[in-house]
Amino acid sequence: MAEVIQKKLQSELEKYQLLQKDVSKSMSARQKLEAQLTENNIVKEELAFLDCQNTVYKLIGPVLVKQDLDEAKATVGKRLEYINGEIQRYETLLKEMEKKSDQHREVLSSLQQEYQRAQGQAVAKA
Amino acid sequence: MAATGKVKRSNVNDLPQGVERLKEEHRKVVKDCRSQIEHWEKVEKDYESLQDRLRTLPDKLSYDIMVPFGPLAFMPGKLVHTNELTVLLGDNWFAKCSAKQADTLVEHRKKHVKNALDDLQKVMKNFQNRADFTNDLEKLTGRTGDFVDIREEVINEDEVTKGKHRLAHKPNSKPKQEYLLDLKEDKEKEEGDEERMTGVLSEEELWARLDDLEHQEELQDARYRLDSTDTNGEDTTSSSEEEKEADGGSGVQVNGHQKENGWVSSSLTSQMNGTNGSHPADEEEEEDCEEETDNGLPTIYFSHTVEFKKVRINTGKNTTLKFSERKEQKEQAKRKKKNGKSNGHSPLESYKITSPADIYRVFVDLVNGEPIPRKSILKSRSRENSVCSDTSESSTADFEERRAAFGRSWSHDDAMHSDASDGITEEESPTGTSPRTNGRFEAFTGTVIEKDPLPCSIPHLTIAPPALPTIPERKLEEVGQEAPQEPPKRMSKFKATRLHQK
Repeated sequence: MAEVIQKKLQSELEKYQLLQKDVSKSMSARQKLEAQLTENNIVKEELAFLDCQNTVYKLIGPVLVKQDLDEAKATVGKRLEYINGEIQRYETLLKEMEKKSDQHREVLSSLQQEYQRAQGQAVAKA
Repeated sequence: MAATGKVKRSNVNDLPQGVERLKEEHRKVVKDCRSQIEHWEKVEKDYESLQDRLRTLPDKLSYDIMVPFGPLAFMPGKLVHTNELTVLLGDNWFAKCSAKQADTLVEHRKKHVKNALDDLQKVMKNFQNRADFTNDLEKLTGRTGDFVDIREEVINEDEVTKGKHRLAHKPNSKPKQEYLLDLKEDKEKEEGDEERMTGVLSEEELWARLDDLEHQEELQDARYRLDSTDTNGEDTTSSSEEEKEADGGSGVQVNGHQKENGWVSSSLTSQMNGTNGSHPADEEEEEDCEEETDNGLPTIYFSHTVEFKKVRINTGKNTTLKFSERKEQKEQAKRKKKNGKSNGHSPLESYKITSPADIYRVFVDLVNGEPIPRKSILKSRSRENSVCSDTSESSTADFEERRAAFGRSWSHDDAMHSDASDGITEEESPTGTSPRTNGRFEAFTGTVIEKDPLPCSIPHLTIAPPALPTIPERKLEEVGQEAPQEPPKRMSKFKATRLHQK
């Protein structure tokens, strides 16, 4: 009896750990996005400081490609929106994973209690 | 106010562990913050040196420099186009700018760095405060700090109040109870709330108790409405218990505390000066303090003692205040009986002034043999037939005693008046002594001597020098009394003197 519970406990634990890994992955991805967000914000503000006379370049691979100032501004703006959207997506994903992990936690705790009870019974029998 | 409840004594082992862990976390965060702050400060410094370079760069058309050639070699070369800079804007974007424009960009970035630094500072300060608070809390519960618990127990007040109490003075006013409760709950939780007190009642018993207490509270409310006073301390505790139960959740736990700690008002009554049986004054109340090292922190228990009732009567020309003296004397007598302490000084203490109220008590008009308190002691009219104070209290003496005392003081004044120089020296000496020994206790440290010629010719009683030197005597007595109570005292001068007055 106790062994059955133990096996269940193990499987639940593994699932829980997987879930936790996913959560942490999403967390780190989200943090990256946050950093990119701030960076792009700074770029946008600094582009505002420049005028048409300055040439703007974009680094694509090993090449510096000339860009138009207005184009550059537009591109940066679009990138910002994209990043924001990604962050939202990750937010919802994280929330769901939190909920799932909570459920798993509960299951785990109940299984643990059963296991302990079974252990106690086994000791009493023996 | 019925300040009930105690700090829960949790399991000693749990507490240090939890606190240690908390402190660890605090320290970690603070360390992290510090390292981050260092990093950002370095960045800021770099930007500043960059700005310097930018300002000097366009000075010359070209510079002769040693150009780095791979990781290990340099080559002599020239730096040209000194005003043309390609600036990295972030995210793989570059821009060609002049030195001045680059300067502007750098300024803008420095602003961001400063913001980050400020935030980090705030966080660090915040966690530093939290760490300090946990330290303080530890000290508080460990009784090692400079914290003193001040409690006032309200017991057995059979007083008749004139008019309604303010809500805040009602011992059972709910908000205060709740605040008190919440604080205690928080404390208990922090100290490790996995422990449950062993005196927890069963549910049915609780419900029965709840009903009991509700009933009692109703009775109390009825009494309030009739302008009667509160019930005794037990009721207050029980109603406070009830309120705590009503609060739900941790009600059971707290209830258990109440019972478990064996907090009984009666035990505390004996420790306090039994001054509760008096009338509450409309105006002034005195407070006694006492210090006890109880099961928790060093605590100061104080209670409200009460002045006699004053009734305003209209005597035609002036309205004067008439004391209901008989009653008050009775109360004083009661008080003295209850109170086992400092009782030996009643005749001496009777003329002691320790609070502004005492002045008015002493400065009474003798009208038709009855002492009537004066409305103003500064008016010259009222100096006739007046009792001149020699800083002695006049309240507890009998009427005859009082007359004798008056006679004493009058004769004293006579003597003073008759010999001016002597009077001055005498005056000086008591005032000289009183401040010296007096530093802590008396509200009124000087002597009041009136030099009006008084018509009476009461025989000069042999209490020379008159009551004045009793001040130093009394002071010595007080000091004597105070000495045994030395260790950590936290009471004001006023309270200490009143303590000894009783």
